Amino acid sequence: MKGRIFEIREFTLHDGPGVRTTVFFKGCNLRCAWCHNPEGQSFEAETMTRANGEKIVCGEDWTADALADELLRNADIMAQSGGGVTFSGGEPLAQAEFLMELIPRLKRMGVHLAIETSGYASSQAYRSVVTQVDFVYQDVKLLDSDAFRRWTGGELDVVLANVAWLRGNGVPFAFRVPCIPGVNDSAADREAFVDFADGAKVEFLAYNKAAGAKYPMLGRTYPCPPMSS
Amino acid sequence: MTERIKSLLERTFEKEQKKFRRDVDWRPLLERFVADGIGDEARARIGLEEMLKAETPAFMEGERLAFLRTVREIPELHSEEEMDARRAQGVAFGEKGVVFNLTADFGPTVRDGLDARLAEMESRLAKCRAEDDAEGMEFIENAILSVRAVLDLVERYRLAAEEKGLSEIAATLAQVPRKGARTFHEALQSLRILHCAMWCEGEYHCGLGRIDQYLYPYYEGDVKAGRLTDETALEELEEFFIACNRDSDLYIGVQQGDNGQSVMLGGVTRDGKPAFNALSRLCLKACGELKLVDPKINLRVDKTTPLEVYELGTELTAKGLGFPQYANDDVVIPALQRWGYELEDARDYSVAACWEFLVPGCGMDINNIDAVSFVGALDAALRNLTRGRGDAETISYEDVEAEFLAEIQRRADALVVKYGHVEILPGPFVSVMSAGCIENARDICKGAKYNNFGIHGTGIAVAVDSLASVRELVFEKKLVSLSELVKLLDTDFAGRPDVLAAAKAAPKMGNADPRADETAKRVIDFWGHAFDGRRNDRGGVFRPGTGSAMYYIWHARDVPASADGRLKGEPLSANWAPALDVPVKGPVSVVRSFTEPDLGLVCNGGPLTIEMHDSAFLMPDGVEKVAQLVKFFIGRGGHQMQINTINRETLLDAQKHPERHRHLIVRVWGWSGYFIELDKPFQDQIIKRVEL
Repeated sequence: MKGRIFEIREFTLHDGPGVRTTVFFKGCNLRCAWCHNPEGQSFEAETMTRANGEKIVCGEDWTADALADELLRNADIMAQSGGGVTFSGGEPLAQAEFLMELIPRLKRMGVHLAIETSGYASSQAYRSVVTQVDFVYQDVKLLDSDAFRRWTGGELDVVLANVAWLRGNGVPFAFRVPCIPGVNDSAADREAFVDFADGAKVEFLAYNKAAGAKYPMLGRTYPCPPMSS
Repeated sequence: MTERIKSLLERTFEKEQKKFRRDVDWRPLLERFVADGIGDEARARIGLEEMLKAETPAFMEGERLAFLRTVREIPELHSEEEMDARRAQGVAFGEKGVVFNLTADFGPTVRDGLDARLAEMESRLAKCRAEDDAEGMEFIENAILSVRAVLDLVERYRLAAEEKGLSEIAATLAQVPRKGARTFHEALQSLRILHCAMWCEGEYHCGLGRIDQYLYPYYEGDVKAGRLTDETALEELEEFFIACNRDSDLYIGVQQGDNGQSVMLGGVTRDGKPAFNALSRLCLKACGELKLVDPKINLRVDKTTPLEVYELGTELTAKGLGFPQYANDDVVIPALQRWGYELEDARDYSVAACWEFLVPGCGMDINNIDAVSFVGALDAALRNLTRGRGDAETISYEDVEAEFLAEIQRRADALVVKYGHVEILPGPFVSVMSAGCIENARDICKGAKYNNFGIHGTGIAVAVDSLASVRELVFEKKLVSLSELVKLLDTDFAGRPDVLAAAKAAPKMGNADPRADETAKRVIDFWGHAFDGRRNDRGGVFRPGTGSAMYYIWHARDVPASADGRLKGEPLSANWAPALDVPVKGPVSVVRSFTEPDLGLVCNGGPLTIEMHDSAFLMPDGVEKVAQLVKFFIGRGGHQMQINTINRETLLDAQKHPERHRHLIVRVWGWSGYFIELDKPFQDQIIKRVEL
């Protein structure tokens, strides 16, 4: 089988220890209003057009062997620095089967693996992948079901069930909260997230001011009203 | 940073020192030299004497290390007509003709004092007389007078200090540089004066060399004696480093900031032991606190260097200083040996103004005497191949590459002829601080232990990318014929946007793409051997390198568009770096591509130059990751590397509002300067570099 990837970025600095490459999986089952990688949402290949007319194809299909080879080109510096590969997206767990083919090919070379996930996945997909990686960046966006549904289009319970399992599973993890002005960035929100983490590490990510930048390139409009002004 | 240092730093940055300066009209002196037909050595000595006599002792409030330049111009010692006449007789000169781009052997004179040199010269003079060695006598006599001129000024400084109640300065100047330094403070004061005197003699790009080695005994001695702590040593160093920024706008360079005040830290000792020490650390720390462009810090590393040392260096990178520039002992030392440097000397290497490796004190190398334009050579090769040939389609890609290399060889050979007979104008004072000159009773300009010439290679990545593009467009995709492509280069691809797009999309160095990198390997192998067996008439070799100096702007003006899609007028990349604005996968791939060739063959110097976006250092482990990248480069056999930390938006804003960015430092070609002080073509070139 093949995986659909929209970007392979070298030397990413925010995705785990050491020198890393981050693989962005195409397609996500959530539609977060503030999403700054809109080209990662659809599972279909798309073309982005820059202001200067330049076209960028988003979504390339890779076999696990080919993708592992590509990533392992940097295995030397990953080994030297204790770095590795981070799976991001989109939602990597939406392509869990492909991930399960890819991961052993990378682990064989001893590279550190991390995943950045919304946790919006079946418990089977979640557990099978998470037990295979060295670190999990678990997104927490909102703690209220209605708000979660309104802002992301998803069901919070699915995430909470996976998080509950994550807490007891032994894989090192940290929570990541994208701070969205007017949505989840009040002092009370922050306190609630810290309570929710229950002693686990929480990283609050500042709102990406350029979050809307890629929408026009896809012929779309940034759907996050509080920020659109 | 102490309050005193903070105040000195601010006032120096605001150029308070300018209030002490005056102009001197040196034309009558030159007229006298010409009219009387005064010899070169006497001119150098008289020039220094007159320059130092014209100096007025001046002190900035709060300083403990004395000496600042009060006379703006240095006397010209030769008229243009005289120099042209010599050139007409077949003499070549390096740049202005004087001793330049050299690091004196400061250590022994700081240690022994100038009186010791005078004593040596007196006895050597007696020997010259006994041997009836007129040339030797002339040199020694001028050198003695030059040293006395320096000591006279020091004495005037001492008296002025006494008069102003600056008793500490007066006491220090009573000791150094006349006698040997006994303390770290005296050593720095001595070095300050010796270094400044070189500039006054007319030398330029005067490096400081391995200060963490030759100043270490004073630091260690003081610490052991309880006279110095790391805090007070840091303060001393900071004052010295600030002083390096005081007169630097008066120094000669192509651009402001290009002044050659290089410092080399770390590496190994002459007997091969690790040399990175507590003083190396303090030097890095001082630079990190001051955030000034001088001195330019270089850091020697090798495959055994711990990550922590790279991290200390990267802390400066993170602050946007554009240095340290790293040099790899594992590659450079054997390379220097291959060129005939003795092992102990090779282990003692430093750099010239930018990145040209040299051995302080025992070389009269002219390590940037000229450059070969690789883009120019490829353009010429393509024209040679297609000119008047209706059968251009029978040409193969291999023919193109072979003709390109042949053209490189022709250009290398032409330089060997051009610099067959180089003369250097004398510098009696700098000779006193150079090994062997007193012993041989000859000025350093007559030759030292090493007399090699360095040749830069400009635009190598653009040439390699262009070759890759020619192969893909002409021979694989057959999008255009070779003759058509050559015509398109003259018109910036007019009417063929498809060819231009294909050229831009063709393989590029920086992506770890063997289609470009394998070509680069062959090109570097060839270039590295282009001067094998050639010698200059001073007995030296020619050392090819991967540096560009300012030729990345100049050479770009001489060529039309290139086959990689670079249009006419667009500059080349600086040194050993991806072409401007090419899409690359990231810094790891860049390092991989640029360490594929055998860089030991091209060790005249010329660093991999990369630009890191400043956001890389927003995360706390950004420093560690970038340090790992440098370590990776060194482990893969890279020779030299420098990293700019920039943000294109900031640079563009600085062009619009320079007043808001007065402290913004960038790495230009081999040195750090203030962005707003650069001429626009140099600013624009940096803005077009690939941001990683």
